[in-house]
Amino acid sequence: MALPYVVREGLANVRRAPFAAFASTSAMVVSLVLIGVFVFLSLYLRTVSDYVGNRLGEVEVYLDPGLDSLSARALAARSATLPGVVNARFISEAEARAEFQQEFGESVEEGVLPTSIRLRLNPEYANPDSLQRLASRLQGYRGVDEVEYDEDFVGKVQRNLRLLNTAGLGIVLLVVSAALFLVANTIRLTVYARRLLIRTMKLVGATDRFIRRPFLVEGMVQGGIAGVVAALVLGALLAGVQTWSPTLFTNRLYNMLPLAIALVLGLFLGWIGTYIALRRFIRNVALH
Amino acid sequence: MIELRNVSLAYPLPDDSMRSVLDGASVTVRKGEHVYLVGPSGSGKSSLLRLLYADARPSRGLVQVGEFRSDTLKDDEIPFLRRTLGIVFQDFQLLPDRSVMENVAFPLYVTGKSGAGVKRAVMAALVRVGLGHKPQRFPHELSGGEQQRVAIARAIVADPWILLADEPTGNLDPAVADEIVGLLLTLHRQGMTLVVATHDYRTVQKHPARTLALYRNKIVEIDPKTL
Repeated sequence: MALPYVVREGLANVRRAPFAAFASTSAMVVSLVLIGVFVFLSLYLRTVSDYVGNRLGEVEVYLDPGLDSLSARALAARSATLPGVVNARFISEAEARAEFQQEFGESVEEGVLPTSIRLRLNPEYANPDSLQRLASRLQGYRGVDEVEYDEDFVGKVQRNLRLLNTAGLGIVLLVVSAALFLVANTIRLTVYARRLLIRTMKLVGATDRFIRRPFLVEGMVQGGIAGVVAALVLGALLAGVQTWSPTLFTNRLYNMLPLAIALVLGLFLGWIGTYIALRRFIRNVALH
Repeated sequence: MIELRNVSLAYPLPDDSMRSVLDGASVTVRKGEHVYLVGPSGSGKSSLLRLLYADARPSRGLVQVGEFRSDTLKDDEIPFLRRTLGIVFQDFQLLPDRSVMENVAFPLYVTGKSGAGVKRAVMAALVRVGLGHKPQRFPHELSGGEQQRVAIARAIVADPWILLADEPTGNLDPAVADEIVGLLLTLHRQGMTLVVATHDYRTVQKHPARTLALYRNKIVEIDPKTL
């Protein structure tokens, strides 16, 4: 005998009841595609969040008008060592004027604009508390005139991003629970259709664990198939979206991750869904 | 040995009242005995058998089957009790999508046996019930009597010490019923303890043996000739 009884039975069950297997596999495919889409969106939401975080994590440190260029550069180097600072760039008066002209379309007289150090922060530090701490530290340095960042806006955007991230996670959890509920109920129907088999197994002295095993193998086979199908569907969806907008969704890892999750989650969903469906059922099947 | 000591059994009815099946019933069946359990439909014969294979638990008293006692039997030990019994029902309870061979091999597979030993044991059981020539058939290709023979082969394949038969001839015509009873008696003569629940009094009178009747929720010993 090449395969152990439980594996043979598990595979044979798929063959014996193809419609039941099709029903539960389809339920899993739908669930996995939904989960994959949400994982995909959540990942790209993180990209948006990092992008906005990067933009927010900019602090402009205006320097005293009398400070010489050498001291200003030394101050910039010192600022770069502060926690959360990714880089610090000295903006000379000439550069400040060029930027002004680019932004407002008008030139400004020499000696009016202050020199500054522009700090770029790690996105994790782009929150009101960290920024306030950093600002007060910078304020204490000699040669610093004023530290500027958009306090209100930073707070507001951070709150919204946090809300979006939490909502994304909540939706994924909701979809996972709904998928589990759907799969467990579909499997429960297919198990119910085979109560005669369970009754006979109990009659001849099979333990509950033994009865459960072929069903778990069957569930995992269906989950694996569902995972592959869901990954193919997700791949096709992604290809469709990329054709429509080639510049969006270019991160390879983010594009592959939902597919991998669908495959692994398929196996897990098949196993846990069957386990939940069978939990009390076997015990409640009467022999006569 | 089977022993029921002061056993009571009651079922809850849909209106929350209880229906008593046994009330302080006692009986002992020794190893190797042949016993009929008689009584009209609904008198509790099947319920008594269910107590023996632990599909029901006594509400009071003690049921002992071999070394298994109802007062100490845990749920996860029930399969091990059932492996020491062979059980046959009126409706055969064969798996329709499996061959005769697979049906009979089932008790061996579920106890973790595999390989050539299973095939040998299955063929031996089929030969004992006179179906050694039909191992590849499916239940729907067999007559009622043949299906019951397969059920008996399945019940004895793992060498139980006792065979519980719940109305084994209830679905069969008299000629076929006689053959099945003949087969059960042969197994008994080979050493099997046999408990047959039946309301077929013709069979009891034709092949008399110790007869227990369920009467007013008690088990009483009767003379089969009086049936």
